[in-house]
Amino acid sequence: MTTVYIADTGVLVRCGGPNKDKFQRLRRALRQAGVALRVPQRVYEELGGDPAANEYPSGNIPYSDGFEEGWIVVADELDHTNPLVSTVMDEARRFIANETDRDQDITEKADTALVGLAAEVLGTGQADHVVLLTTDKPAGRAAETLPPQHGFSDRIEFRYVSVEYLETISQRISITQPRGDDR
Amino acid sequence: MAKSPPQSGRPPIQQLQTVADLLDTPALARLYAHILQHGPVTVSDLIDELDIPQGTAYDYVQNLENAGLVERTRDQRPYEYAAESIALTLSTDGETQTITPALIAAVARRDQDEDIDVYIERHGLDGLAVALEYAYEYIDGTVNHRIAARELDLSPLEAEIILQALEPVATEYADDVA
Repeated sequence: MTTVYIADTGVLVRCGGPNKDKFQRLRRALRQAGVALRVPQRVYEELGGDPAANEYPSGNIPYSDGFEEGWIVVADELDHTNPLVSTVMDEARRFIANETDRDQDITEKADTALVGLAAEVLGTGQADHVVLLTTDKPAGRAAETLPPQHGFSDRIEFRYVSVEYLETISQRISITQPRGDDR
Repeated sequence: MAKSPPQSGRPPIQQLQTVADLLDTPALARLYAHILQHGPVTVSDLIDELDIPQGTAYDYVQNLENAGLVERTRDQRPYEYAAESIALTLSTDGETQTITPALIAAVARRDQDEDIDVYIERHGLDGLAVALEYAYEYIDGTVNHRIAARELDLSPLEAEIILQALEPVATEYADDVA
């Protein structure tokens, strides 16, 4: 069974702060488990897109170390010609507008990138299971709801990345990523 | 002989001055927020819990009591104090903002949470009050940092930083809002 971990901006913000403990813990957990977090292009742009955010301890995230060391990877541009991807993203846009009681115009196509990437990974057979790590609850719910309607039942897990979740991430990743030597 | 009016316990202008002090003094805000959530408490409880010098703690409690924001609930020593919830609505030129216990609690965290401190430096207390409204929605899952960023004219990264920083306050005070 292959699992792809898709991560959102909030995961790395959660790792920020004046001491880099949380960041190092995530780094260690992922490297030990041999797992890389995959981030959509949109998330990559969010992480680096605002120099003003460096004023914040939590905005000053050494995420580029993750890219250099290979435990965070940027996903290829989404294939919008893939009908599964474009359909799920359209549905996600409506879903998120509905969850947030906003007009669809306030949600942008890019907001649905996490859900689109999850659908693409499953649809193209890159993995048979996706774990979505995010603090974006509307997108997380969309990811749990929509791909199953296209035949991917029980293939996506949405994990809200709380402080507590991050503290126990090493156990969680080793549980969801069974090793060959596990009983 | 003129009789003095009955004490309401919450003289409005004095209360306004004390609320201004609360917004300006994170340690005072922390003490008020603690009494509100954990009262009745004694001053020595506050000194132990909050790591505030003894003299300061007594002064702060006295100020809050004079403004009617805390009251003594036990008249024998050691005295115990409980806090009154505040909701002070200010209007200027069509802009309205309500100062709530949650906002005081958010301000109280700026000493320990530099993300909140930087946000106040950049966007002021009015900006913080608006961000706190979004933080309630964020924990409910009825907004995300991307929509908040667009509506507050922030970058998505800055929106996520302040929403995460305010999440504990919004969680603690969510019931008061509902």
